[in-house]
Amino acid sequence: MSNNKRVTLQQAVEIIKDGSRLTFSGFTIWRRPMAIVYELIRQHRKGLHLIEVNGGSHTEFLVGAGCVDIWESCWVGHELYGKYGANVSRKVREKELLVEDYSHAEMLYRFAAASQGVPYAVSQSSLGTDIHNPEYDMLGRAGLRDGKKNAKHKYIFTEDSFYDAGSLVLVPAAKVDIAVLFVHQVGEEGTVRINGQFYSDPEVARAADITIVMAEEIVPEEYLRRDATRNNIPSFEVDYILECPFGAHPSGVFGRYDVDGEFLKHFYTTTRTQEGFDAFAKEWIYGHDHLSYLEKLGWSRMLNLGSNSALNYTPRKPKGGN
Amino acid sequence: MSTYALPGEYCLPDLLCCAASREVRDNEVVFAGTGLPMVAILLAQRTHAPNLKLIFEAGTLDGRPPELPTSVGASCCEIGASRSSGLNDAFSIAQRGYVDLGYLGGAEVDQYGNVNTTCIGDYLHSELRLTGSGGNPDINSFASRTVFIMLHEKRRFVKNVSYITSPGWRVKKWPGGEFVHRRELYGSAFRGGPSAVISTVGVFRFDEETGCMFLETCHPGKTPEEIHALCQFDLDISRVKGETEVPTLDELRIIHEVLDPDEIFIPNIKKHSHV
Repeated sequence: MSNNKRVTLQQAVEIIKDGSRLTFSGFTIWRRPMAIVYELIRQHRKGLHLIEVNGGSHTEFLVGAGCVDIWESCWVGHELYGKYGANVSRKVREKELLVEDYSHAEMLYRFAAASQGVPYAVSQSSLGTDIHNPEYDMLGRAGLRDGKKNAKHKYIFTEDSFYDAGSLVLVPAAKVDIAVLFVHQVGEEGTVRINGQFYSDPEVARAADITIVMAEEIVPEEYLRRDATRNNIPSFEVDYILECPFGAHPSGVFGRYDVDGEFLKHFYTTTRTQEGFDAFAKEWIYGHDHLSYLEKLGWSRMLNLGSNSALNYTPRKPKGGN
Repeated sequence: MSTYALPGEYCLPDLLCCAASREVRDNEVVFAGTGLPMVAILLAQRTHAPNLKLIFEAGTLDGRPPELPTSVGASCCEIGASRSSGLNDAFSIAQRGYVDLGYLGGAEVDQYGNVNTTCIGDYLHSELRLTGSGGNPDINSFASRTVFIMLHEKRRFVKNVSYITSPGWRVKKWPGGEFVHRRELYGSAFRGGPSAVISTVGVFRFDEETGCMFLETCHPGKTPEEIHALCQFDLDISRVKGETEVPTLDELRIIHEVLDPDEIFIPNIKKHSHV
């Protein structure tokens, strides 16, 4: 690995091959690496296998564009701005997308296990639900449980032999090829600083074979090392870095900008059908690069999303002298 | 003592919010989702439960958000928090048994309090895929009590949900799938289960031994018989205590002037009736 970890947006996306097992930073509609998601769509990536602690708008974009064959997670939607994932729903109904359901805690524990280098995690969550129904092992039904890319079992049920705690469920470590993160700051050597909630980013970065970090800004490594307790991910866990201001839009970034709810509402209401998605993608994704996308969004929109730097969030009252 | 609002002075979401708020006891650790539950909890914090500890799934612990967050991952969730971290903290705390009360929702609920948020129809040939589980089953597995807030329609109050996303009082024992009391499965992790369903027509509770739902109170204007007819199972209406307590003027003021002045989650009937 060379010391120079910098790549361009286009190069970052070229690292992600067709069929990759991929995961992301963030939480539902917060701190998602959207600029890379858009570029994956522009480069027509196919057959992706998303394994996510939770999904969100970025999942809907990738699934709507036909980039994804398998989605392994627990939730997709746009929170307040769209109550479910209409693209995922459509592709499931048309059997173009395989969905493997786990619970939210189970997905988190699966990444925690992978990040600790152990093959599975144990929990007492979701016992007695259809999430554990043996008939609903979708990767198994598709003959994809090879014990290499995909675990041999979706679950194993067992009993506690240490303290007689009762029924337990074992869930396989989430093995992913690549984690793509969007963060506040990354140093030239890869040290990551996130402000606010870090969600499950440390776990997914450590679990992945390759970690790509896109940041609002690349800062001197020495600056981050002056205050190491504030850093979230150590340099050597990060393979590639790039700078991309506003690269999480329309998702939000703590202390920087709010979720673009209007944009997500528009996406949700206009992409129920494939034709609707294609029209949206034509307008907002294809034929654009990150700068022309920002230009299309415009100054007034971006200014209104901007957070107050003392409060770290965006108050509801409009700002800027109006 | 605060004065109760008169009919016409509050709307149904106000009633649901206040009913949900009254489920919180002071000093409890409460796990919150986005939407109406968030308003209910913040209302409790400003009325009878000033010392409740609020936990958001995305990783803020004991937060005091200055504005109503639009999602649990939102920036303002962590303002004033005791700690801001991530999901590993939130779920570990829940599994460890710290959480007294969780607020959840669902598309369908059955007679045992099993809830579906995954799909409508046969899972393998789904007519409509919904959001999926999110943390619903996890919170429902780990919290001592959970409260569900739901739209009441006959198609949603079913004998058996088409997919058990979140575990009620009688759940499926795998690999066979026969129904057993949840106590049997959860072993040392058994702490309770769904404590109330607050629907748009009444408040329902569960007999913790039989696991069956019963009607506790009817919302003003509804009768037990009407509500019985709005369920696909034989709802127990023998334990009805009367009418659901209506919002007080003080509660309405807090909801509409302090918590949700922009009517993001709860419409302000007062504003609209004067238009």
